[in-house]
Amino acid sequence: MISGRCAACKSQRRKCPSDCIFSPYFPPNDPQRFACVHRIYGCSNVGKMLQQMPVQMRAQAVDTLYMEARWRIEDPVYGCVKLISQLHQNLNDTESELAKVKALIAFHKLQISQVNELHQPDLDASQSNVEQFQFNYSTQNHYPWFIN
Amino acid sequence: MSTNSTSTVTGGVGGAGGSCGGGGGSGGGGGGPCGACKFLRRKCAPGCIFAPYFDSEQGATHFAAVHKVFGASNVSKLLLNIPVHKRLDAVVTICFEAEARLRDPVYGCVANIFALQQQVVNLQAELSYLQGHLATLELPQPPPLPPPPLPLAVPTPTTLSIGNIPSGTPITSSLPGTYDLSSLFDPMVQTSWALPQRAMDLRQYGPSTGSPSVGGGGGDGSDLHVLARELLNRHGSSSSSTPMACSKASSSTSLSK
Repeated sequence: MISGRCAACKSQRRKCPSDCIFSPYFPPNDPQRFACVHRIYGCSNVGKMLQQMPVQMRAQAVDTLYMEARWRIEDPVYGCVKLISQLHQNLNDTESELAKVKALIAFHKLQISQVNELHQPDLDASQSNVEQFQFNYSTQNHYPWFIN
Repeated sequence: MSTNSTSTVTGGVGGAGGSCGGGGGSGGGGGGPCGACKFLRRKCAPGCIFAPYFDSEQGATHFAAVHKVFGASNVSKLLLNIPVHKRLDAVVTICFEAEARLRDPVYGCVANIFALQQQVVNLQAELSYLQGHLATLELPQPPPLPPPPLPLAVPTPTTLSIGNIPSGTPITSSLPGTYDLSSLFDPMVQTSWALPQRAMDLRQYGPSTGSPSVGGGGGDGSDLHVLARELLNRHGSSSSSTPMACSKASSSTSLSK
């Protein structure tokens, strides 16, 4: 069907063969998709890349190429790398927070174990005293020096 | 904003980043053709746009990747539309993307993005759980119930969906002013990409490798003290380090807006 040219062949102003490598991934109703990819990678480079991978992976590859091309067009200097940088920062922040919480948990468990050791002989009789101690201690927020 | 334009990004970067000389737009001078012209086997003109960023020694290797993925003319057009003081950063990111694409022809950089997103989600889930656990320790409550299985150990079959990736416009408004390219060259990060990439070949995410797995409970009291201090010293110093500084000074650039 002559009017069924894919977006790639339409852009290149050529006939779209029946075995066109681009046609499954660049439908004619979405010319922007091929335009982005063509602008950053070039038609021949995309074709070579698609030829070198299994057919079942090509759709995913075109999707990722399109996303990277879009990011690069929006930000010619950093492209998708700025998103990676942001994610690294998020990861570092979350790891820091996690470390602090783990340290606090370790501290609390230490305190509880020390209290239990202190009151071991009378644990059964004075369980209520231990709980009272823990309550008093926790409400005073006496954290060690290395806890902010 | 200033870029660290005097830094020299050498070829020994770990597979990412261009091999650049310091400033100067000269090409084909006493040092011979630049890496790009050497690869293309053409005469390096005095105003060669690639010369400042691809030296003749290892620049050719990096340019080979860039040429294979993007093409020399496309990269040239890209650089021409970028101010001169930002071209170094652009070359670094272009080299990074090109080499990521060669390593993983199907997903390229997007694999890294997905892996990082998954790590962040896993860590945030762990953080939420531990914060709840901390709350129970701080209050006079009966012993907590056995913890639910953490999501870290459960492989989540997730198909790679473009919808999961944030679209273009929100990125520009929510990013910090400085972009730390040094993290691109972090070997720890690069190794952590490998596992999720292979898992993504099977359309599945494996367990996160980025979360610290430090046992903090039980044991001798002195061990807990040492452990708590070690955790805070390790993570507190890493989080307070500025994005501009990079320990791998010979192989990375730091950017600022």
